[in-house]
Amino acid sequence: MNKELEHNFVELLEKHQNIIHKVCRLYTNNYDAHNDLFQEITIQLWRAYPKFRGDSKFSTWMYRVGLNTAITLYRKSKRRISTQDFDEVQFKIKAEDYDDTEEEQLKLLYKAVYQLNDIEKALVFLYLEDKNYKEISETMGISEVNARVKMNRVKTKLKTILNP
Amino acid sequence: MDELELLKKDWQKNDKDYPKLSYDDIYKMILKKSSSIVKWIFIISLLEFAFWGFISFALKDTKIMERFESYHAENIMIPLTIAGYVILAYFFYKFFMNYRTISVTDNAKKLMENIIKTRRTVKQYVAFNLIFLFISTFVVLGIQFNKDDRIVSLIDKAASNGELFKFYAVTILSTLLVLVIMILLFLGFYYLIYGILLKRLNRNYRELKKLEV
Repeated sequence: MNKELEHNFVELLEKHQNIIHKVCRLYTNNYDAHNDLFQEITIQLWRAYPKFRGDSKFSTWMYRVGLNTAITLYRKSKRRISTQDFDEVQFKIKAEDYDDTEEEQLKLLYKAVYQLNDIEKALVFLYLEDKNYKEISETMGISEVNARVKMNRVKTKLKTILNP
Repeated sequence: MDELELLKKDWQKNDKDYPKLSYDDIYKMILKKSSSIVKWIFIISLLEFAFWGFISFALKDTKIMERFESYHAENIMIPLTIAGYVILAYFFYKFFMNYRTISVTDNAKKLMENIIKTRRTVKQYVAFNLIFLFISTFVVLGIQFNKDDRIVSLIDKAASNGELFKFYAVTILSTLLVLVIMILLFLGFYYLIYGILLKRLNRNYRELKKLEV
């Protein structure tokens, strides 16, 4: 790999690093795991970079590699988050700009999202990132109709978690 | 307000709250080694190929093989050896080709399918070896019953005592027992290694497949 390629890649990644942080935020529940997953995604991105043609946006490409790493390639065991673990992820939630009720609701919402399975989290992630159903279906390898159906089910599931 | 909309608003607002890694931090990361399951599958698969290759190689100069050579069963052994190597080459080629199709830039489902396909090739190779082991053990046993002087004299002795059936039954059943224990050990090892390594992938793949129904 030549130096120029390395330089371009690191610069692009530095600029778009929040995408990886967001994936890590959803799929890990402590600092160490967050950093570990961040590193693995970075390595996977770097290894795939020579084949990156630029016909899609770098950020779009990052979503795909980031999610693939988180739900398929990442080896470290991930504990399903429990109420006790939830305290550890508090650092990730800052909702100081909201009033108490909304803040409380957001905390519960994040907590509910952590209880979803890997695939459901991926759908929620892409939805939160404002991706349309076409992009969601292309990233996950499912049809657009199925992506919509599944998303509606996830919404219902979240409601059930929030109001048991 | 829709819960997810509220979440989205907050999610998109918190961009500044994430850690900010420097150019150097990221540069250091790309020099590190991956610990992805694909890497582990590759290493374990190579070890499996090496293991079975080693087994056939290690058996070559043993006393058992020397004794076996005295039976003059070359017409069976030579084709079996050639077939063994051809099949190894076939599976290895197939494994390598499948491995090369694994790309992290594919969609999630395709990536999972390609990993599963690569794994399946090695699984088939191991299954082939276990079946081969099973069949060849009984072929060898058959040859020994006819050609091994020591065993032939034991058969004659058993026949004169009227215990021929018992002799055959005990020999065949104990061989079968040893084989079954060996195969169970292999399966247990498999279950353990791949159960741990692929548990998450399999679970997520099932979840994606479920959406198609």
